[in-house]
Amino acid sequence: MEDPVVNTRGLRWSTYLIAFGITALIFATAFYVSNYFNNQRVVDVRNTEDSMSTDILSLETQFDLLTEHSCGDIAENTILPSELTSLGSQLSYLEAQGSGNQQEVESLKSLYSVLEIKDYLLMQQLATKCNLKPVFILYFYSNQGDCSDCEKQGYALTSLSETYPQLRVYSFDYNLNVGALQTLISIDDVDDNLPALVINGKVYYGFKSVDDIQKILPQLSTLQKSATSTAATSTKK
Amino acid sequence: MIGSAATYVFLFISLFFEVFLLVVFLERRITRVEAQSAPVRTSELPTVCIVVPCFNEARTLEATVHSLLALHYPGEKLEIAIIDDGSTDDTLKIARRFESDARVKVFSKENGGKHTAMNLALAHTQAELIGCLDADSVVAPDALMQVVPIFNNPKIAAVTPGIHVREQKNILQRMQHVEYRLSIFNRFMLAAIGSVFITPGPFSFFRASVVRELGAWRYAHSTEDMEMALRIQLAGHLIANQPQAVVHTNTPSTLRGLFRQRVRWTYGWLRNAVDYRFMLGNKRFGNLGLIVLPTAIISVGAGIFFFLRILWNLGDTISHAILRYESGAGFPHVSFNAFYLPTSALWFLVWASIAMILALICAGSLIGTGKRLPPASTPLFLLFYSFLVPLWLIAAVFRATFKTGVRWR
Repeated sequence: MEDPVVNTRGLRWSTYLIAFGITALIFATAFYVSNYFNNQRVVDVRNTEDSMSTDILSLETQFDLLTEHSCGDIAENTILPSELTSLGSQLSYLEAQGSGNQQEVESLKSLYSVLEIKDYLLMQQLATKCNLKPVFILYFYSNQGDCSDCEKQGYALTSLSETYPQLRVYSFDYNLNVGALQTLISIDDVDDNLPALVINGKVYYGFKSVDDIQKILPQLSTLQKSATSTAATSTKK
Repeated sequence: MIGSAATYVFLFISLFFEVFLLVVFLERRITRVEAQSAPVRTSELPTVCIVVPCFNEARTLEATVHSLLALHYPGEKLEIAIIDDGSTDDTLKIARRFESDARVKVFSKENGGKHTAMNLALAHTQAELIGCLDADSVVAPDALMQVVPIFNNPKIAAVTPGIHVREQKNILQRMQHVEYRLSIFNRFMLAAIGSVFITPGPFSFFRASVVRELGAWRYAHSTEDMEMALRIQLAGHLIANQPQAVVHTNTPSTLRGLFRQRVRWTYGWLRNAVDYRFMLGNKRFGNLGLIVLPTAIISVGAGIFFFLRILWNLGDTISHAILRYESGAGFPHVSFNAFYLPTSALWFLVWASIAMILALICAGSLIGTGKRLPPASTPLFLLFYSFLVPLWLIAAVFRATFKTGVRWR
């Protein structure tokens, strides 16, 4: 049991200093640990992108050697749509966190956009040469506060990706300063009236619900529905 | 950005204060401060008057007086003054039943508030020490013998006890049980740094001569025990704490009752803080002026701020859910992915604060009961209590701002 005690109420600066030091140490540790985990996430995303980049390069090479490979071999090696959406979702999360090295996140996002475009082009070529019928949606958004429906659109597309694992949703930050992306925007003639969807070569502006998209894209019904959800999300804000 | 900065500032201040008290606690355990409760001979014991101010306490008075009559203290040196403060129930009738005991005196007066009841007893007693026991509390038989020797130190003008929850019939009382353990720690440590600013109604004792010097009890926004403590501090006296003087008090069993009690306490604290604002940040009052009073004020603001921030985040989450619903996306698919585990600095700091509070509750248990383990209902307290506190903080700030006053019942 403790003894009852009353000390004088005089200040002991050493106690104040020790308490301040410990509090500062707790704060510093919290920031250090948080920063460590954020950096780990960036490394994870970077590794995934590197791996994806290698996969695309490998696929392109395989494609060039198409005469020596069957379409089946190539199709088996394509990047899964869920990988794309998962990576996009992770980048969105890092961006929304607003902590850590945002320049690094921006760089990862740029690389992600380029990978998406390369995958999109490759899939188009594969579709032609191997008589496949992949279903694509190009989604352009802005997160600069000038697109009130972009978040809602993101939810609708995420839901579609989860329902149809074979659906390839390529989401692009309209304002990202990446040459390949800006070229894609000008080729598809996409205005800054966002959100914008490019489906079967046609541009649709404004929010489109799950039902709207299903009507616009009847090929969706040919895709196999997911029995259980994949973890894919593509909520770009 | 400003909200984020304010969050970190409030977190730093509250964490700093928790660490400060813990450091004082550990320093004390290392230095092993000498016990000041040296045994005393019966003949040397001072005369004591214990006042039981009552206003409609018919339901609980009997148990309170019985516990006082069971105190281990020489009968000729103990007075029990039951003051019926204009009750409209059977309080007076019940009090009269005890008049056959020579130690008990019963007074009846028009309702005037607790301070008038205390002053009536002060005017009718020659005892050296005067204490108070709210009529909803009971004391352990040795409680008075734990308190009295502490007055051997002439600098000490008042001693506060270790207060425990009397009954834990529901979740609300179980959470208060944990809160009272935390209060045991706080009261003990505040005494250790000479910064007690509340002498609670259940079983606080005063040197009667000091109370008379200071002009007796005053009306003080329904928190006379706080005002008296501040006045004692202002006069340069010390207030001790004796956690081994165990008193069990009734606690509100309903949210409404708890809300009303805490609004009164917080309102009283804020109004008294305004009255004694010259003590805030004043180095002349040592730890009390420099850290304890300012932190107590800031904690009210911090509690409200954190609550509003949580509400804001909740609103944000709901608006996202509505957007999701409007998009036709249905319910989100739930899956685990370590990538999305929250790892922000704020998150870690919140956990550090919770760990610190847990440590303080354990220390409170050690001080109050000698056991290191926190009460079993501690998780409930940590989970839910912080969402209840801001409700009465907001109400009290509103009332204090507009000086609406509060009622005891």
